[in-house]
Amino acid sequence: MTTGAASYGALLDAVRGVRWPARRRATGATIGAHRSRLRGSSSEFSEFRPYRQGDDPRRVDWRLLARSDRAYVRLTTDRATMRTEIILDASASMAFPPVTLERWQRAREVAIGLAAVAHAESDPVGLSIAAEAPVRIPPRARRSVIAEMIRAVETVTARGSSGLAPLLASSRAARVAVITDLLGDAEELLAASRLALAAGSEVVLLHLLTLEELDPPAEAQLAVDPEQPELRRSLDADGRRRYRAALDSWMERAQGDFRAAGVRYVRALASESAARIVRRVAADAPADE
Amino acid sequence: MTFLAPWALLAGVLAAAGVVALHLVARRRPASYPLPTARFVPDRRTLVSRASRRPRDLLLLLLRVLLILSAAAAFARPVLTPRRSAIARILLLDRSAAVANPAEATRRARELVSDGVPTRLIAFDSAVAVLGEELGVLDSLDRVPPTHGGRVASVSALMAAARRLGSEIGAGADSVELTLVSPLTDREVDAASDSIRALWPGRVRLVPIAATPATRAMPPLGRAVRAEDVLGPALGGRTVREDTHAVRLVRGEPSGADSALARSGGVVVRWDSIGTRTAVPLAVAMGDDVVVATLARTSRDSDGVVLARWADGSPAAIERPLGEGCLREVAIGVPVSGDLPLSPTFQRIVNGLTDACASVRVDAGMPLDSARRAAFIGPARAARGSALANSAERPTPITSWLLGVALACALLELLLRRSYGEPGAAEAA
Repeated sequence: MTTGAASYGALLDAVRGVRWPARRRATGATIGAHRSRLRGSSSEFSEFRPYRQGDDPRRVDWRLLARSDRAYVRLTTDRATMRTEIILDASASMAFPPVTLERWQRAREVAIGLAAVAHAESDPVGLSIAAEAPVRIPPRARRSVIAEMIRAVETVTARGSSGLAPLLASSRAARVAVITDLLGDAEELLAASRLALAAGSEVVLLHLLTLEELDPPAEAQLAVDPEQPELRRSLDADGRRRYRAALDSWMERAQGDFRAAGVRYVRALASESAARIVRRVAADAPADE
Repeated sequence: MTFLAPWALLAGVLAAAGVVALHLVARRRPASYPLPTARFVPDRRTLVSRASRRPRDLLLLLLRVLLILSAAAAFARPVLTPRRSAIARILLLDRSAAVANPAEATRRARELVSDGVPTRLIAFDSAVAVLGEELGVLDSLDRVPPTHGGRVASVSALMAAARRLGSEIGAGADSVELTLVSPLTDREVDAASDSIRALWPGRVRLVPIAATPATRAMPPLGRAVRAEDVLGPALGGRTVREDTHAVRLVRGEPSGADSALARSGGVVVRWDSIGTRTAVPLAVAMGDDVVVATLARTSRDSDGVVLARWADGSPAAIERPLGEGCLREVAIGVPVSGDLPLSPTFQRIVNGLTDACASVRVDAGMPLDSARRAAFIGPARAARGSALANSAERPTPITSWLLGVALACALLELLLRRSYGEPGAAEAA
């Protein structure tokens, strides 16, 4: 496994050009790539609307008034930036499978990829890592922020059982992407997501799974929860069958709960490439367009 | 050695085999695999079993097998079985006064034991003495005179002693022969003899020898009894000779001549209360003879051999040895009137009280008739040793030792298991 900023070069190249449109109109004051809730003085004409009392007289189209003797206001479409924050789960369960740490590796790459996509659209982007020693890089738009994020994720080791909900609750970003396996504080995370959505934020949840979880290897006869070592269960044939049924049920329930709350739930396998996952997260069209 | 409950030993062997089989089944915790979604695995046992070619925990296995086998062997009740011979013999040698010639009896006994069969000897007269297997005992018996006043033996007591001895030696022989060297007279057999004889489950080999003649003349009286004496009818027919030294009937304190007679081997009978006029209904018994009549009762010193008793058990006539003879005192007051002296029973009592001293008196009785003798001899087969022995096995302390070993193994196994901790924990590491 390569480390350092150089290892992310291929990923950054792969996601270049990927757009990550906001699902809601942006409320940022800075001109950006996302549709803004505001319509004002930009040069991108949208439509005419009859003048109403209180409209700014400077926006009246005087030429149309002269020709038709009716007062119309000239409307334009504004573009704005969107503060984006990536919240990365760094609990012990992310360090799986034990040897390759594929999920943790993929989660770090996807976090950097999403940040790069957002940053390419001039969005201020930040990173919060729910580790034993939490790391928080506030959303910034400067060019060095991606490199700063890469250094941050490379210094963190996935261990412990830190919660994601506090980080989401304290986030002031208009768009929050949470990368997690949902094996920690899922209930608290769902509650915090509802609050963030109510506050006007957009929440994206990337549920990262591994093939070893879906189909544990044959040598896994005694399963031990890395976050709760006292939880030891035997995986015999019947146990595997019941495990898969329980896991499927749990995944379906989690997906339903988060989607019902308005969270954009994306499930991905850690075996997929990071660029593909980034594209899947970013590809969906905005909901309210 | 044998086992009284061999099924317990078999069960122990099977249990030990089961323990070995369990030790061949390695129950161990599999290697742990960190799985973040382990919470979705159903909660079940975390030990898996697999067969192994070599038993694990050899020391524990050894202790457990030893424990089970020791306990099983203890519960199987091991006993030591003595070495058995084909036949053993109990030789019953009559030494009572019923035997006319004791030397002949000893000779016959020596002939019997010369065949080499293991023999236990019981010499009996009025008492029973169990002797050893030494043939020299027979020689010593020749020099021992008959005891206890020449009384005949009791076959009932003899057979009871023989039965007890048979229980001891029956375990060591396939059959036990009971040989009786005796004249076997009717005086030696009593009412209980048949039932006690039935306790011996086999034949009694009877070696008959000559018995002391049972019929003899009563010793002559040495003093005349007047015709009006109330004992006259009772003593009718007895020879009266003034110069005899046999029996002297006196009234009042015996004189010096009377004592001299007794010291020289005679009998002095002091019978004072003859012709008493104050009599009450009383009962007096002597041997098998009982008389109930109006009698007078006087007090007498009870120090001596009791010949007759009142109904309450107090002595009515006693005899004390004096020199080679004896002095006899009779406290039975005979009334002057009545026909008591004519009673045959009373006559037998009077004759008994005026008979020779008990130490020299012999009344061996008559030999048994052929029917009773055949019944006494019983079946043709000697008694089987197993039928005589209470238990063919002797108790052995090995059971206690086996239980001790089992207990020690249990304690060691417990300590060892605790030192190992939870079973399989070492393998799971």
